[in-house]
Amino acid sequence: MSNERIIPYQPTVIAGPKQALLVTPETAELMIKKSKRPLLILGPLVKEEPLLSFASNIAEKWNLPVVTTADAYKPFKDKGLNPTSYGVVEIVNLLNDPEWKGVNGEGQHDLVIFLGCIYYIGSQGLSSLKHYAPHLKTLTICKFFHSNADASFPNMKDEEWFKYLKKMGTSG
Amino acid sequence: MIVVAPEQNSKAKKFKDDFWKSKDIKISIGDIVETKGDTPESDTPMGPTPKPHVTDLRSWDMKLLSRYEPFYAPFCDMCCLCTFGKCDLLDKKGACGIDSKAQQARIVLLACNIGTAAHAGHSRHLIHHLIEELGEDFPIDLGLNIDIEAPLIRTIIGKKPQKLSDLEETMSYVEQQLSHLLSACHTGQEGSYLDFESKALHSGVMDDLAREVGDMAQIVALNMPKGDGDAPLVEMGVGTIDSEKPVVLCIGHNVLPGSNIMDYLDETGQEEDLEVCGICCAAIDISRYNDRAKVVGPLSRQLKFIRSGVADVIIVDEQCIRTDVLEEAQKKNTAVIATTDKMCLGLPDMTDKDPDLIVSKLLNKEIEGALILDSDKVGEVSVKVAKILAPERKKLKLLPELDEVQNMALECTECAWCNRVCPNDKPMMEAVVAAGKGDFSGFEKLYLNDVCYSCGRCEQECERELPLMSMLAKAGERLAKTEKFNIRAGRGPVQDVEIRRVGAPLVLGDIPGVIAIVGCSNYPDGGKEVAEMAKEFLERNYIVVATGCGAMSIGEYTDEEGKTLYERYSGDFESRGLLNIGSCVSNAHISGACIKIANIFAKKPLEGNFEEIADYILNRVGACGVAWGAYSQKAAAIATGVNRWGIPAVVGPHGSKYRRLYLGRADKKENWKIKDMRTGKIMDGEPAPEHLIYAAENMAEATVMTAKLCIRPTDTGKGRQIKLNHYIDLYKKYYGELPPDIHLFVRNEKDIPITYKKDVKEILDNVGWEPREIPQEPSLMGIGDD
Ligand code: SF4
Ligand code: SF4
Ligand code: SF4
Repeated sequence: MSNERIIPYQPTVIAGPKQALLVTPETAELMIKKSKRPLLILGPLVKEEPLLSFASNIAEKWNLPVVTTADAYKPFKDKGLNPTSYGVVEIVNLLNDPEWKGVNGEGQHDLVIFLGCIYYIGSQGLSSLKHYAPHLKTLTICKFFHSNADASFPNMKDEEWFKYLKKMGTSG
Repeated sequence: MIVVAPEQNSKAKKFKDDFWKSKDIKISIGDIVETKGDTPESDTPMGPTPKPHVTDLRSWDMKLLSRYEPFYAPFCDMCCLCTFGKCDLLDKKGACGIDSKAQQARIVLLACNIGTAAHAGHSRHLIHHLIEELGEDFPIDLGLNIDIEAPLIRTIIGKKPQKLSDLEETMSYVEQQLSHLLSACHTGQEGSYLDFESKALHSGVMDDLAREVGDMAQIVALNMPKGDGDAPLVEMGVGTIDSEKPVVLCIGHNVLPGSNIMDYLDETGQEEDLEVCGICCAAIDISRYNDRAKVVGPLSRQLKFIRSGVADVIIVDEQCIRTDVLEEAQKKNTAVIATTDKMCLGLPDMTDKDPDLIVSKLLNKEIEGALILDSDKVGEVSVKVAKILAPERKKLKLLPELDEVQNMALECTECAWCNRVCPNDKPMMEAVVAAGKGDFSGFEKLYLNDVCYSCGRCEQECERELPLMSMLAKAGERLAKTEKFNIRAGRGPVQDVEIRRVGAPLVLGDIPGVIAIVGCSNYPDGGKEVAEMAKEFLERNYIVVATGCGAMSIGEYTDEEGKTLYERYSGDFESRGLLNIGSCVSNAHISGACIKIANIFAKKPLEGNFEEIADYILNRVGACGVAWGAYSQKAAAIATGVNRWGIPAVVGPHGSKYRRLYLGRADKKENWKIKDMRTGKIMDGEPAPEHLIYAAENMAEATVMTAKLCIRPTDTGKGRQIKLNHYIDLYKKYYGELPPDIHLFVRNEKDIPITYKKDVKEILDNVGWEPREIPQEPSLMGIGDD
């Protein structure tokens, strides 16, 4: 199938005519650069190496505030990040509220980057933000195409995905 | 001092009703029924809302909804319910004017109504049948230790049902409300998401009532355990089924076909000759009726077990049955008998035919299967068919050889579509590829604990049309033989005497909470996690009650000595008690136990007094549901019902697909104001419980959240210490440090657990914590428009 990379990874999460924009690491980086108050959300699927390092490097390189979901907190804390822990539904609920002041109290975020949440609950969270958080954009950098995001990496195998993540996490 | 209840003047009763011994005692219709120490009906003061109509409890709902705002996650952007549509509701309204939030709430209401209708239909069928058999005056008597037989009916309807026909009044009320609630889903009716939610909450409580009717009817009429903590242990697991014998498998939720099979076997002296087993709640309820019936396991077993060919006859009744069961059974020459109007499967109606004629038509394949709506007849026909079919089917009980599985696996093209369509994101392709190399460990991992819950979606997608479920069943066969577990037979309601014993420690917080593990088996990573959660809370002195597939999954875990948790822990409603309450319908006894705490312990009148009771439970009874594998519309109705009673629930990650959660905002102090009914003062409260329905991404998160959701404003200092101690312990276990929100739950220094004193104080200092006043009788009543 030629368009396999941009059919939602779990094909039945398709929700309607609006689909995410397919992005490369370069476009993803551009989105982060343009954003004023980005937030990186890291889920339990990236709490082990080498993904733990890839994700931490991205956070550090772009100086992103980090929220961890489920039990991803400890590994990232041990890795030297200073994450805030929320359930994925809790953080999405806060992001839906235009009045919320963000994890650092500096104002609601304008870009939320997801990495490592369980696909189907992640997809539900993205759907919630798509409907009720017009004040922010969502980007997913998992190895799965997430049609409910504004922008998403395509479906890919580990090898290619690791390259993408490394690229986003190294300077220069 | 926190005032929780007036002095008790009634003494706890000591005797136990030995229903197993009295099992054979026939109660003749027309017997004089002694009315137990209960206020005569005419003297019972009636509260403000007997038989509430859809809108009568709306003000309570709005209080809940302003604290626990609905969080929506649309599963679909579109609506396709009328011919104006499809309408795309993303940033737009539909042609009827509905917006995305209201549409989500509307679908939630629809789901709750479907669930409620399923239970109402089930209960209607039960009481109709039982009244026909036993007469309308058959007494509702749950034995000497249970005076408050029907806490839900008493609270909502406003009176105590005395005989089977009294239950019809409740059913008529439920059905009437349900038609109003369903009508609100029609295009061009309700337009407010909050009102849709209020209706969903009403639907949930109607569901609760319907379940109470169904379970009480079957308990009294079929003499199931009446709140007995020593109910027998029932064999469970594929390995306990002797496939050398003819095997009858019951799938679904309605006990009647199965109980009639057991009766027929007893009456004809064939009880040792056949195996009768069940999947899903039918298994639980048949084994409550007769402990010789065996439990195969939860819903997640269904397709694997059908494919194993072990069953000679499959009896389907209602709810949660694979709708392709006939097609699947035919592949194995298993006979299928449908037994209720809910599921007829296109089969010819043989209800009025002679049993022997049905048997011969089934055996000669003159009919594909039979629809038999008379459950007495089902007993005879199924047993006769199984006995004749079993010897012929011997070969069909064998799965393909392992080398055949390996050869099939070699055909895999590694397209990966099996993985992509797996709702649970499991590595089927990797298992197949490894099997091609003779390594079956991937299949075994999927098989064990139902990590793959055999939904069959992967198989539907496979471009090589590999029979993945049969391959899985074969690879797991060796493991299946070792699956020998047990489950305590569903005990039914909690006894009044038990409530008297634990009421105070529960409300004061000395017993850290009641954890209700309920619901279906759409688990994110197998059933073992459910047993692990149960074990975690049992070891921490919580009371763990369970029903349905959750109760079965708990029994599928054994310790080093080969013992299940049911063998390890007492079945009584006490600290470290593990109670199998029963099936889906028995969930009514869980809200029922909380209601009884308000009534027996705090002397709150029940009749027509919904809001006061729910307010009491929300603020004082530290109970929390865990529906780790909730998948059905019934589960949506059950959860929404318990939420309206003030009991929070945690669901698994798939629960996010219900589209709606009720989430509190701990960061908004104004949301947690309460009124102290003692002083009339409106004061700052605390986020306890913080959420009403919450979806956790994995077990770690669920466990920690469940402990947190047991905190209540009325905990005494000592009780709060105990609860916070568990919350901190668990948080540390999974997150490595103290919970950052701990200060929210420390009212004054007496609340700080001694073991963590230093660490907690450090956090308190960092956030500038100040002690706060403790309400004596915290309440949401009198807040807002009241
Ligand atoms: S019910 Fe409303 S939103 Fe749905 S299809 Fe009809 S007009 Fe559109
Ligand atoms: S049967 Fe269902 S749960 Fe099991 S691997 Fe296939 S798609 Fe996944
Ligand atoms: S769908 Fe079939 S062919 Fe494709 S990877 Fe899975 S088992 Fe192999």
